[in-house]
Amino acid sequence: MDNLDFSVVWKFRDALAWGLMMSLLLSGICSLAGTVLGFFIALCQQSRFRAVRWAAALYVEVLRGAPTLITLFWVFFCLPIILGVEINAFWSSIIALTLYMGAITSESFRSSLKSIGQDQYDACNALGLAPATRTFYVIAPQALIRAIPNILSNVISLFKESTLVSAVGMVELMYTAQSISNITARPIEILTAVALIYFVIGYGFSWVVSSVELRIRARVQS
Amino acid sequence: MQNLDYFFIIQAWPLFLKGLWVTLYLTFWANVAGLIGGALLALCTTGPYRLLSAPAKLYIEFFRCTPALVQIVWFFFCVPILFDVFWSPIFMGVVILGMNLSAFNAEAFRAAIQTIPRAHVDAAVALGLTPFERTAYVIMPQALRYAIPVLITNGIGLFQQTSLVALVGVDELMYNGRLISTSTYRPIETYTFLVLFYLAVSIPIGRLAAFIEARSDRALKA
Repeated sequence: MDNLDFSVVWKFRDALAWGLMMSLLLSGICSLAGTVLGFFIALCQQSRFRAVRWAAALYVEVLRGAPTLITLFWVFFCLPIILGVEINAFWSSIIALTLYMGAITSESFRSSLKSIGQDQYDACNALGLAPATRTFYVIAPQALIRAIPNILSNVISLFKESTLVSAVGMVELMYTAQSISNITARPIEILTAVALIYFVIGYGFSWVVSSVELRIRARVQS
Repeated sequence: MQNLDYFFIIQAWPLFLKGLWVTLYLTFWANVAGLIGGALLALCTTGPYRLLSAPAKLYIEFFRCTPALVQIVWFFFCVPILFDVFWSPIFMGVVILGMNLSAFNAEAFRAAIQTIPRAHVDAAVALGLTPFERTAYVIMPQALRYAIPVLITNGIGLFQQTSLVALVGVDELMYNGRLISTSTYRPIETYTFLVLFYLAVSIPIGRLAAFIEARSDRALKA
């Protein structure tokens, strides 16, 4: 084992910071877009029309049953051919991660929608609310608040899955780390530093999630 | 859009099957390692010895809060240098995937152990069982039953994560799929088939997990 030299990490701090920023940006955009998508998928799963329900269920099964890496490759290699447009690594990453986030988040919404009692629906019907009013003013706000802890932990999963996009050449933290370790031939220092960066962010965020969860649970029960 | 041609899949069949075999091999042995490792880690964290529980907790947090890809890349690049060992890629894959799964299974076991009422432990003490007997005959059999649905879900998750080791050159399903797609210039057909391969394994096992969970819920309520 040769002697370790961690100064190489400091030398490449700008590149690593840029990579980290791209990772966070990707996770941020896809979390927001995926949450909206997941909410609509969850609504579709409760639809009156069987075709809509089945389509939504199929979407969730496929996206959750197949590895995210394949979704990513499918979007990167196949979607441009099918649509006949060029999709670069950035947009492929955004699309694939949003689809993934949508699938796992729809499950969170589905369980939170299920936790809302039938009496709420009955009360809406008794008040003569239109189905859209019922969904958006009565059911959705309650479902949203109950789903928040789950969605936040999905965001952590998404942040971890975002390392995959380095496989299609999207420049984020993992890609930057691998390039630097190839150039400098110092994989141990760089990869350890990057693992620690991921750990600090992932651990910090999961700490935030558990404290938010406690507060929401206290509020929902009262 | 070009014409689709699924005929070449027949020629590529042996390569697909070989990849599937390696994927299942990785999944099986990593699950074996993950179950044993997870149970041991859970016992360490719930046990009275701080010297065991602190490192076990750190291990679990570290593996849960960093992306699997980072762990895999770190392991494949750094372990041979640090420890001067050269194992076969498949064995390396089993080890790192098993280490990753251990952390998640440990959480499942810990949650299950904590649902067991304190009275059982007290009763075992009153009966004069040794700590080993208490753990092996009273606590773990009950905990295992609570933990099984989560353990199966983690196992399926691991099955999907095996696709990540393709990125460090282990020739499993994903790797062979990429090989076929680049050598035949037919990404759509290949990746669609790959998705089907993964779904064919993960959906039935997921159904099995749901079935077992429903059954054990009923049994525990009764």
